[in-house]
Amino acid sequence: MWTDGIARRLSTIVLTALICLPILAEAETWAELTPVQQEALAPLNKDWNTLANKQQQHFIKMSNHYANLTPEKKERLHKQLVAWSKLTPEQRKRAREKYIAFSKVPPEKREQVKQMLREQEARKAAASGVQPASTH
Amino acid sequence: MNEIKLNTESIRQLLNRSSAKLEQPTLAGLRNARMQALSRFDARTTAPAFALAGIAHRFGHAFGSHRRHYYWASAVLFGALLFSGAAYWQHYNEIDNSEVDIAILTDDVPISAYVD
Repeated sequence: MWTDGIARRLSTIVLTALICLPILAEAETWAELTPVQQEALAPLNKDWNTLANKQQQHFIKMSNHYANLTPEKKERLHKQLVAWSKLTPEQRKRAREKYIAFSKVPPEKREQVKQMLREQEARKAAASGVQPASTH
Repeated sequence: MNEIKLNTESIRQLLNRSSAKLEQPTLAGLRNARMQALSRFDARTTAPAFALAGIAHRFGHAFGSHRRHYYWASAVLFGALLFSGAAYWQHYNEIDNSEVDIAILTDDVPISAYVD
């Protein structure tokens, strides 16, 4: 019967929509972001559409903290955002673990390690003839 | 045998008397009349019942395959709903690392120090 065909097609459409709903609901284009989100994630503008939906959602969540950052921290964020987006989920996970572990180190020792890292960066930059990035 | 012709009025009169006083031919006549009445009653009441059963059977046969499709469609729909629900549940229960990530990216230590 023709009603059978219609019912079958309708149920297929409904099922497909239901299955795709979680994916469709998350997809967001760059134009759909708010001006604040676009400013926070500006370095990702070109690559935004190539990012996985899950990653886009994560960066959108990150951008919600942007308004509370100092200009200096905003600059640091912009400098490191692209490199961060290119890391694998496993690398990001390990980086978070290291950061959390490092934040538990007493302030004096942490400052010593930071100083060592700055010197290391400066040596690397001098060797390659590039001006070291400001980390202060 | 001397048969007694019975009509409604005579049956009513006979029933009013004690059954013990009735003669054998009268009792036989009553039994016959009862049986005839019962057979007519059965014919009237069972015919629609058989007709209804037939219709129900035909409908059941016609809708049997449809019902099977509906069961399958319901099962698939239920599965799809479960899948969607699970996906949403997972999405909303994911650990929010955004605060840690913003702290790493705005820290004065470059991210290269934390990356292998």
